[in-house]
Amino acid sequence: MKRSSKAFAFILIFLLTAAIALPACSSKSENPASSDGAGASSPEASQTSGSDELASNDPVTLRLTLWGSPGEVQTYQKAIDRFHQKYPNITVKLEHIPTDYDTKLTTMVAGNQEPDVAMMESGSIAFPLAEEGKFLNLQQFVDSDSELSADRLIPNISYYSEPGNLIGIAPGPETFSLYYNVDMFKDAGVTPPSAKAAEAWTWDQFVEAAKKLTIDENGKNASDPDFNPKKIKQFGVNGANGWWGPWSNFIFSNGGDFLSADGKTFGLNQPEAVEALQKVADLVNVHHVAPSPVQSKNVPGTNVALQTKKVAMVIDGQWANFDLSNTNVNYDVAPLPVMKTPITTVVCGMFSVFKSTKHPQEAWGLVKALLDPEGTLELNQKGLWMPALKSWYEDPSLIEKWTANSKGRTPGYQDAVIDMMLGYSHQTPTGYVKNFNKIMDIVNPALDKVWLGQQTAQQAMDAIAEKAQAQVKGRRDVK
Amino acid sequence: MRDSTLKLSVGYAFLVAISALFLIPLVWMVRSALMDLSQIFVMPPIWIPHPFKWDNFTRALTTLPFDKFFVNTAVIVVLGVVGTVVSSTIAAFGFSRIQWKGRNLVFGILLSSMMLPGAVTLIPTFLGWKSLGFYDTYVPLVLPAYFGGGIFNVFLLRQFYMTIPRDFDEAAVVDGAGFFQIYYRIILPLSRSAVIVVSLFTFLGAWNDFFGPLIYLKSSEKFTLALGLQMFQGSYTSQWDLLMAASAAVVLPCVVVFLIGQKYFLEGITLTGLKG
Amino acid sequence: MTTDILSTPAPARGKSIRSRERKALLYGLLFTLPATLGFILFTAGPMIASFILSLTDYNVFKSRTNFIGFDHYAVLLSGKDELFTKSLGVTFYYVVLKVPVTILISFAIALLLNMNVKGRSIFRTIIYLPNIVPAVATSIIWMWLLNPDLGLVNTALSWLHLPTGQWLYAEGSVIPSVVITTLWGIGGTVVIFLAGLSGIPDQYYEAIEVDGGGWRHKLLHITIPMISPTLFFNTVMTLIGSFQVFSEAYILTQGGPNNASLFYLFYLWRTAFRDTEMGYASALAWIMFAIILVFTLLVFRTAKSWVYYEGDERS
Repeated sequence: MKRSSKAFAFILIFLLTAAIALPACSSKSENPASSDGAGASSPEASQTSGSDELASNDPVTLRLTLWGSPGEVQTYQKAIDRFHQKYPNITVKLEHIPTDYDTKLTTMVAGNQEPDVAMMESGSIAFPLAEEGKFLNLQQFVDSDSELSADRLIPNISYYSEPGNLIGIAPGPETFSLYYNVDMFKDAGVTPPSAKAAEAWTWDQFVEAAKKLTIDENGKNASDPDFNPKKIKQFGVNGANGWWGPWSNFIFSNGGDFLSADGKTFGLNQPEAVEALQKVADLVNVHHVAPSPVQSKNVPGTNVALQTKKVAMVIDGQWANFDLSNTNVNYDVAPLPVMKTPITTVVCGMFSVFKSTKHPQEAWGLVKALLDPEGTLELNQKGLWMPALKSWYEDPSLIEKWTANSKGRTPGYQDAVIDMMLGYSHQTPTGYVKNFNKIMDIVNPALDKVWLGQQTAQQAMDAIAEKAQAQVKGRRDVK
Repeated sequence: MRDSTLKLSVGYAFLVAISALFLIPLVWMVRSALMDLSQIFVMPPIWIPHPFKWDNFTRALTTLPFDKFFVNTAVIVVLGVVGTVVSSTIAAFGFSRIQWKGRNLVFGILLSSMMLPGAVTLIPTFLGWKSLGFYDTYVPLVLPAYFGGGIFNVFLLRQFYMTIPRDFDEAAVVDGAGFFQIYYRIILPLSRSAVIVVSLFTFLGAWNDFFGPLIYLKSSEKFTLALGLQMFQGSYTSQWDLLMAASAAVVLPCVVVFLIGQKYFLEGITLTGLKG
Repeated sequence: MTTDILSTPAPARGKSIRSRERKALLYGLLFTLPATLGFILFTAGPMIASFILSLTDYNVFKSRTNFIGFDHYAVLLSGKDELFTKSLGVTFYYVVLKVPVTILISFAIALLLNMNVKGRSIFRTIIYLPNIVPAVATSIIWMWLLNPDLGLVNTALSWLHLPTGQWLYAEGSVIPSVVITTLWGIGGTVVIFLAGLSGIPDQYYEAIEVDGGGWRHKLLHITIPMISPTLFFNTVMTLIGSFQVFSEAYILTQGGPNNASLFYLFYLWRTAFRDTEMGYASALAWIMFAIILVFTLLVFRTAKSWVYYEGDERS
């Protein structure tokens, strides 16, 4: 009795496993192996031509997944509605994935439920998907499209998994800048930095100013010999250490990089990068003008930090304008201090098209509609996004469209944000460093010690260089 | 329970102190729900909003279709609680009040399902439901409740059933009762407080679960309250004021249900107290 | 867990016992059928599938999957994966602290809440409240409270002239700090203890009082033995849960500083859903399964000596 019931259970379990696992396997093999995703031109995609062909009578349904707050999603919905008005035969179903986007998308892909168009992030599963040939190469569309050609896009918003394979284009790029409280500069008698890249602060000028803006509980500033670094009431600057986004600007500005130019060597232990990291760490541990990573956890968001005069300057992304403009604070913006050359890292999501789509032409049309600043104008006006098209940075009437009469456009915005984006941008490392996450899994814990002043940047980076080197898999922009 | 007055007052002082500590999260949430966004993260914390922004609630609850989310959540929660209570009490009876060969082995195997991290069974489970055609339905969220109702609950009830003296069963057997009568007439009433705990946990778990709905639903008109709350996270900034207002509104029914539910514990004491 | 007198062969009364046995087996299977069926239908398949996947290089996005035998396990057990060994150590440290602290404190709170005092239904509700406040909110409050410079905890400590700490922000203290932050979530354990306490008949305590015994006698001779099945349940569940600690801790520390709070499940999720190495993640999961199984079995073994069931066949 006992044995037979056991055997029965085993058979049942086996059958059920098979029933569940088999469809997974077979559906996998339905997709013809297309691991050579790079540059492969699928038959559908080669029929590319002008977008007017979209206007046909065959009803088409496209699925689009994205993340975002209710306000952002509403704006997308409006852009989609405009698209639908233009092409009434195309219906777009927006699937909002509010959290755990990667997990959800991964299960969707596993179940062959992936959307036609998806918002993706370069730092997560976009490249793993691209490397398995899951995305359409958008290059052919860009090359032959009459409306949207490559030179109409601003630099560093196109993501290539390798040269020639364009996997996604960013809708709302962002730059890094120095946001500061104008009143606090006045109070300290410090001249605010110029908004022009050519006249931007050098690192030393920046440190000098930060010292005067850092004040202890006795009212003494950090350049005073009696200054008490243990009891700081107001910090000069915040936001440089911690996440790689902000400090990557200084690596690039100093001529360093995450990888060597040929993509073969780990770069953060090289002199330029180490110098930049050390200078950023010195803000905390030598000059006492910035909160340590521990203390930063206590500093509220940029808008509140500046408003409550906890901090005089914050290194933050363009998106900070959204909150700042809704906060009662007299602020302005300047380019980041320059180590050797003025530079700003561009970070942004992207829209990608899954290769499994049955309607590549229409999906490309949707991507274009989402990239069109006209369609998502509200997000641009709110200070949450910046436009993807060059003309919106150059043509004064277009600039006016997204900056005039909208909040968060301080005197410095044109020079420190708009012009920096157009003329001095650097691609995000997630866009070209292969295996970026695994490398950073090694780098970040080591940098914790640098920010805390327990090790110098040179010591910390040398200590992990070998381990990091083992994870180096090359650059995406080098063949 | 006859406790001395001194002991009671010392205990009371402890209770007040601990309760104050445990109230902080709720107070923080409620005051944030009534604040301007700029005040929420000020250090040191502001505890009284100035001014009170009551319109956070109307803004939060009208930004998203919370009425629809509420109906969806109610359907899932009610179906889940009913299924769980029925099937877990039955299963626990089989694992505690009946002696049969292989009982502990079967129980151990069921318990082992809690020991494997869900990250690696997520995709196979999803594929299973999808192949049955239940993607974007409530079936994967509700049906398992009717098949055991979760081993956590079965285990919990089993522990309680095992403390009930055998005399009751034997008396019932003499009266000619079968296993089902023993389950229904004796064990279920005597383990009332445990059954209430199971219902409470199932209610709260289903009410606050956002991950299951996230994975198994795709149409936002089928979303639940807990998943709706997740929507306030933006790509760069989060609307904390609205998030906290919506959270406070969503959590309120939980507090009420808990207050009512735990009252029955007290009755549970007198019940078992009299019979035991 | 108990020696079943019915299962020991008794030749003298052979036949009737065998028929009773058969009836018990039939009804036992019948009552547990929904649960067993649920396991077979919804759980067993995915579990077996994940084990098979742990023997492959499965990547959700790859169209080809290769069988690689026990290679993943070999890599893991060889200690070459430093993050695996690190996260295992971190998680063990957490479990060792978390289980006793949770059980002791929640039992103490349950005893307090079981006193016959005014407003105890309010107190009981309050203890449970942090569980229904969104985890992001409680995490933010803890980051405030435990902030080394401005946090309430350090302020209070320095006010009392006690040494202050770096709490979540130092490698040495991050795990104990995480354990502290999880204490707001013990309401569930407390509620289960309360349900257990409510099942203890008053007469038992009265008998002790008649004999002149004090509260300590009551606790040792009535409360603890009578609550032992509940205590056992809470111990097992806290153990299984602590090995799989993930979300709250992740919001607080993101694994830092210097990987000092890189919990096993966090590493596993990252491997599975960020690095998309599902085969390797499955192997990680099955190693965790084995660890939890061994510890749970150990607790079950010891249970015989300290868990007292009044409904036991022996009594």
